[in-house]
Amino acid sequence: MRYNLAVSIGRIVSCVSTVFHKGAGGTWAGEIALRIYPNILKDLTHKLRKGIILVAGTNGKTTTSLMIKKIIESQGASVIHNASGANLLNGVVSALLLSTNKDWGIFEVDENVLPILLSYIEPKMIVLLNLFRDQLDRYGEVDAIAGKWKKSFSTLTEKTTLIANADDPLITAICEQLQAKKVYIGIENSSLYRKVMQHATDTIYCPKCGTRLTYGGFYYSHLGKWSCGSCGFTHPDVTITSKDYQCPIEGIYNQYNAISAAAVGVVLQFETTGIQSALASFTPAFGRMERMFARGKKVRIVLSKNPTGFNESLQTYLDSKDKGPVLLLLNDRIPDGTDVSWIWDVDFELLDEQKREIIISGDRVFDMAIRLKYAVTNLERITIFDSLASSLDAALAKTQSDETLWILATYSAMLDVRKIITGKSIF
Amino acid sequence: MNYKLTIGWLYPELMSTYGDRGNIFILRKRCQWRGVDCKIIPIDFSTVNCQLSTVNLLFGGGAQDRQQTILISDLQKRIGPVLKQMIDNGTPGLFVCGSPQLLGRSYMTGDGTVLHGLGIFDMVTKHFGYDKPRCIGNMVVEVNSQKRTTVVGFENHGGRTYLGKSIKPFGKVIIGKGNNGEDKTEGAVYKNCIATYSHGPFLSKNPHIADWLISQALKQKYHKTIRLKKLDDALEWKAHDYMLKRLGYRLILR
Repeated sequence: MRYNLAVSIGRIVSCVSTVFHKGAGGTWAGEIALRIYPNILKDLTHKLRKGIILVAGTNGKTTTSLMIKKIIESQGASVIHNASGANLLNGVVSALLLSTNKDWGIFEVDENVLPILLSYIEPKMIVLLNLFRDQLDRYGEVDAIAGKWKKSFSTLTEKTTLIANADDPLITAICEQLQAKKVYIGIENSSLYRKVMQHATDTIYCPKCGTRLTYGGFYYSHLGKWSCGSCGFTHPDVTITSKDYQCPIEGIYNQYNAISAAAVGVVLQFETTGIQSALASFTPAFGRMERMFARGKKVRIVLSKNPTGFNESLQTYLDSKDKGPVLLLLNDRIPDGTDVSWIWDVDFELLDEQKREIIISGDRVFDMAIRLKYAVTNLERITIFDSLASSLDAALAKTQSDETLWILATYSAMLDVRKIITGKSIF
Repeated sequence: MNYKLTIGWLYPELMSTYGDRGNIFILRKRCQWRGVDCKIIPIDFSTVNCQLSTVNLLFGGGAQDRQQTILISDLQKRIGPVLKQMIDNGTPGLFVCGSPQLLGRSYMTGDGTVLHGLGIFDMVTKHFGYDKPRCIGNMVVEVNSQKRTTVVGFENHGGRTYLGKSIKPFGKVIIGKGNNGEDKTEGAVYKNCIATYSHGPFLSKNPHIADWLISQALKQKYHKTIRLKKLDDALEWKAHDYMLKRLGYRLILR
């Protein structure tokens, strides 16, 4: 009875919010349904014909989920997934409320929500991308999250397959000694090793015995070919590598997303060519290397919300054949994390390699200004704006017709700037 | 004369949780902009005592519990006694976030284990369990300084620190929790060392504290007062004042 009531009211709320352009279901419907009937999740997931695939990790959840969706849909199966960012329980429930007669549920889940979700459902697969420091004020320490994951995974059976990033020692440690099946992915391409280790690393000491790990090479942050010389904990053999599948978008982090998504296809026994062509037709999710036009100028928006993500965004920007100025936007609202200390873990010194125009704005623009003051030598090429709209105007004006304006922004700033460019809101 | 300073950074690979290294960048640049040569050396497993004694300014950041366990015995047995001697003799230092807990008398972790600190700072820290709320948020602290009397920062800690009789607080908490959320004290000052719960790049919006540390380090090394060239800190003070205003600091005063 409560279940039916919860579902009905949830669906009505969902319709209303869609009519008022509040986005695809968002989180309200799920929130209300959960309050009426807290066990709704268990009942709703039984409606899916094939099962649930969860995607977790600090960076890459949205892109990977959408890649998985693309791969599964290319084989003719139907999929429900949660809206990007709506990755708490209420977001998952909202998505499920709208699903009638679907084969698969693909959900990206917040790091803290994963253990809670596992107490309700038994997924077919869990994709574990990576663990990096992220919004310490909200998530706490990386090791604390790893501990919670490990504990919640202990109840999994061999009905669940973990698709795990072998290049991340902490993810590998979490996956040890579990009943669940495991499929390891990794880059396995030494030509992509970085010359020096980045500062923003979290797990370079053995998660099992505490000895400093030795690395054959780093891909980014602490991801690489690692091993522990003391306790013998070693990078596991991988089934799927970056040589097996081509990644449709730039950035080494997207290679991880692509092979993790491909691994889901492999587990489902799809043919390699099918997986490859689904990936090739992939277009980025909003704000994730998304290409747009603003007043006739080419724009790329890259969500950059933590040190590792920002480092990779900067590197991708500098390496890309699409040259142009960069607009850096730093907000400190709840979805961004209220603590902006993390910008000091980002290697903005990279911007000194090329003398491009830098425009900055956001709620904490002065914090960003100070960070850049201590990072780059040529301060004249930095322009500071209080107003986001003015910063976009100036940045577009500085973009030549054959150039691309790159916008690297924290979450709420990304939504705001996208809204100015498209003239409408996503949520 | 070309002045030179060596900054020693405690376990940089293990104790740098959330932008802590910003303080190192800031100290180094502010030295360089004034023509003071600045060398950064790690103080960790590879450091021998003769290197440690060349250090003129100390810095320590925060560490996660696991990282702290990895380094604690090396710190206590090898580095600690020399560090204590240096600090007692007046070597200045800045310890943010978790490192002050290691320098105090003891630290009780969330599961009730009591770790012995180096006993340099007369204070004890207690974590009353992981289910207790952490102290998280922006803070404003009034300090005894000749230039500006405020410092701004961000705190994020589970432990509560209580100062002993022989030690002074760094300042008075106006906004935020500070040492324990009870007695309005924040951080501690012992000899020329500052401990604060403000984590991450504490010096970025507090250039007066950065310059005080550099001055003290030069004074200790060269046994005379060396006037520091004034720098353009307009951005730093804008960021500082923006936070004061946003947190309603002036409103509380009047």
